[in-house]
Amino acid sequence: MSEMSASTLARNIINKIPEVESVPLEVNKVELRVPASKIRDVVTMIDEMVPDVLPEMVFGVDLQDDKYELIYIFWSYRARALWQLRVSLEGKEPEIETVCDIFPGLEWHERETHEMFGINFLNHPDLRLLLLPDELEGKYPLRKSFVTDKGRLAESGLPQPKPRPARGESK
Amino acid sequence: MSPDILDETSEVWFGPQHVSAHGWATKLTIVGDYVVECDPNAGYFHRSAEKCLEFRTFRQGSLILERICMVEAFISEYPYIAAVEKIAGLEVPEKAKIMRTIMMEASRIHSIQFWLGQLSGELGLFTMMLWPWVDREYFLDAFEELTGSRHTVSYNTPGGVRYDFTPEFLDKLDKAIVRLEDRIPIFEDMLQGSPTFRLRTKGVGQYSAKNGIKWGLSGPNIKACGVPMDLRKDDPDPNLAYGMIDWEVPITENKEHPGECDIYDRVVQRFKEIAVSVDIIRKLLPLVPEDGPIVDPKARAKANRLPAGEAYGRVEGTRGVTAVWLKTTEKAQTPYRAKIRGPCFNSYYSLKHIMPGLRFADFVVTFGSLDPYVGWWDR
Amino acid sequence: MHKVQQFDFFQWLAGIPDWILGIILWFWGLIKWVLLWIWGVFEWIWGLIVIPENFMFLIRSLLYPGLVFILFTLIFAVWFTRKLWARIHDRRGPTHLGKYGGLQLFADAIKLLAKETIIPVNARRWMYRILPSVLLIAVLLPFMFIPWDPYWNIVGAPGFPDLSVSLVLIFAFLTAVPVFSLLIGWTSGSKYALIGGFRAANNQFASEIPMVISSVGPAMLAGSLSLFAITQAQSAIWYVFLLPVNFVTFLIAAIASVGTFPFDAPVADSEIIFGWRTELSGVYFTMTYFAEFAEQILYSALMVALFFGGFHGLPFLPGFANFIIKFLVVFFMFIVVTSSFYRLRQDQIVRLCWKYLLPLSILNVILVMLGLAYFSDWLVPLVTGGA
Repeated sequence: MSEMSASTLARNIINKIPEVESVPLEVNKVELRVPASKIRDVVTMIDEMVPDVLPEMVFGVDLQDDKYELIYIFWSYRARALWQLRVSLEGKEPEIETVCDIFPGLEWHERETHEMFGINFLNHPDLRLLLLPDELEGKYPLRKSFVTDKGRLAESGLPQPKPRPARGESK
Repeated sequence: MSPDILDETSEVWFGPQHVSAHGWATKLTIVGDYVVECDPNAGYFHRSAEKCLEFRTFRQGSLILERICMVEAFISEYPYIAAVEKIAGLEVPEKAKIMRTIMMEASRIHSIQFWLGQLSGELGLFTMMLWPWVDREYFLDAFEELTGSRHTVSYNTPGGVRYDFTPEFLDKLDKAIVRLEDRIPIFEDMLQGSPTFRLRTKGVGQYSAKNGIKWGLSGPNIKACGVPMDLRKDDPDPNLAYGMIDWEVPITENKEHPGECDIYDRVVQRFKEIAVSVDIIRKLLPLVPEDGPIVDPKARAKANRLPAGEAYGRVEGTRGVTAVWLKTTEKAQTPYRAKIRGPCFNSYYSLKHIMPGLRFADFVVTFGSLDPYVGWWDR
Repeated sequence: MHKVQQFDFFQWLAGIPDWILGIILWFWGLIKWVLLWIWGVFEWIWGLIVIPENFMFLIRSLLYPGLVFILFTLIFAVWFTRKLWARIHDRRGPTHLGKYGGLQLFADAIKLLAKETIIPVNARRWMYRILPSVLLIAVLLPFMFIPWDPYWNIVGAPGFPDLSVSLVLIFAFLTAVPVFSLLIGWTSGSKYALIGGFRAANNQFASEIPMVISSVGPAMLAGSLSLFAITQAQSAIWYVFLLPVNFVTFLIAAIASVGTFPFDAPVADSEIIFGWRTELSGVYFTMTYFAEFAEQILYSALMVALFFGGFHGLPFLPGFANFIIKFLVVFFMFIVVTSSFYRLRQDQIVRLCWKYLLPLSILNVILVMLGLAYFSDWLVPLVTGGA
């Protein structure tokens, strides 16, 4: 539908599901803050209201202290609009329902988020390791608490790195 | 050999040690000659680029991006830089916008030539493997003249570009494009005009645009179905010059199955993409101003420590939507989170849906026609 | 108490050396008999060789145009193929060793022979070791019947006349070759080799019948199944001018039978790594590699003998030179055709051969039959020519 703009869909969703908040980002991009329990409803609404929406990706962000954020990005080339869904999760191994039966393209993105962050997707058909070798299963490397093992760096023959000065939150 | 050999499934690992498997492995379950199930496996090439990006400064980060896919190096490094420019609020000079766009289109042409050779090699015709690769060399000579390196070019930088166009470079680029325009009709004849090629590719590996978009495919894989989905027109980036000229999005229509595409259509589509890229380069080259800065003068200061924020940089890569989502914290020298979206991640996944029902010999061709590049899904 | 005969121990002891000597003499007699028998066999063989025709046969079959000549032709053909492929691909080919890279093949052969032979755990060891050699033998044997020259052949020479059914015998040997490919693929113990072996058998199923039927045309025109006689009969006109379509179907069926591009689905190196040759290494690989090129040379030579008049041609050149020139032209065409088409899928090969080649070749046979039946008064002297 060419009349559907980013904010129109956001308003439609909020009318149906009042727990969702919307934050405009740029002229054609809207961010929706979705509580974890409503993710399937919101995604189903996007699928029904916007034809041919491209599921770009799902990924996680590790805000420390056992807080995580899941970000879903959907792009519609017809409406020229982008929707970014932000879900806040908490816990050691947070759980959320999968949306990969609505959008099959997100199946591998969810699988990767699971192995990198430890976020469990309920009812996902296949949560094996995708990119990581077997020894990193359960280690969740993209979490900030995962420190790469520099124990064998001396074996490589490379010059040792100088110790880095403390930098703030980037480490 | 039991008489039930035609009903028994057998699993074949089209594995990492295979002539055509450039760093991936797929488990195919076949019955006789037909593939029943396809289970793509990734991770043979994983280099933890996203984690590495959290330890590199904003000007170093694009170097990791370009090494993820070196074949389209100018395009690969751009999404990260676009995100950095949005957060830092950098202003890119006009000259840099045009130069960036020209080099991105040249890189797209180079990538499609690489793909063309690879597809023909997988189909067994080494003649058509080497002819596009000869022409690729002329483009690589031009890239080397401009940046000093053939593949790892490091051309884009936050705020602009790093090298200016020299007359020798323009000369080499012109030579490459003129030679390409002479050779493209020969390639089209060898491919579309070859009866064995049509036998191999017509009706094979078909999917509809609706399904393709659901699986996350984008770029030429969807444009070949007749759907004009192109980020250069749909989401024009203010830091690139696509809006300055008139050009058309190339699409391919399949007459017997509208809305669907098979391997043949995808090949035709990519030839059209080359033509459009040549057209864009030709139209943009006269627009390059003679003098002017090629990078934002405040870039060095601003791109060192960025304010807190989030940005999403996207570009229409050779294979589809290529994007980087960046989150920064206040006054940090490195990103807090950088997520790379490679278009081939979803291409490889979509094989799970496309392959069942095709023959074993069609696997390589089908996958090759989706233009896979292992760096994009393994990162 | 009666007198018991005493056994004189010392007499017995004194008789032992004689007894031992008797045994040794008996063994010596046996050995002498065996040695004399072996010597008799050698004398018999020598007696055969010394007969002039037999001695010349040995020379011809071992040196020229026999084994050594075939090996050198093989090396030349591989070099020729590689240089020609390279020029088609817009590059040069081997240039470093020897002028124009001529010695490259010797270096390659030495390197390949010196490589370690790795036998997979799942392979049947003795079959795996024997089969490549048997394959090479089956490909090299038909060279015996190729008429290179009116007089200087292995068979088909004065004193050693050609078999009356040599064409059939050639095809019998060539039909065995894909069976060995299937066996090699099967006993290699790898799934890719198995798939390649099955595809080789499928190739044979598709291509052998049109090939054999295509060769019936020249045989009917010449009135004989002997390859030498068919070549001799083309002194007035080459059969390719009478049967051009027959030549084309034979060419396509021959390329399919060899299993080279574009019909190389059995050894498609982008799909099944190297098909039935995947697990071969070292000397076994060398033998199958050379067997492929030997087959290509054989089919080119067969096409020259069947369609292009063999050793007939320019009268001032020896027959052999004519053959070699025509052979080079046909081989050139072979190489150009094989590097211009995309690889066909296995089922498409079968469909092509059975739907298009087979009816065409049968049509050719029917045409020849009609021609011989109705136009025999001027056709028969034309095609049988003189000896």
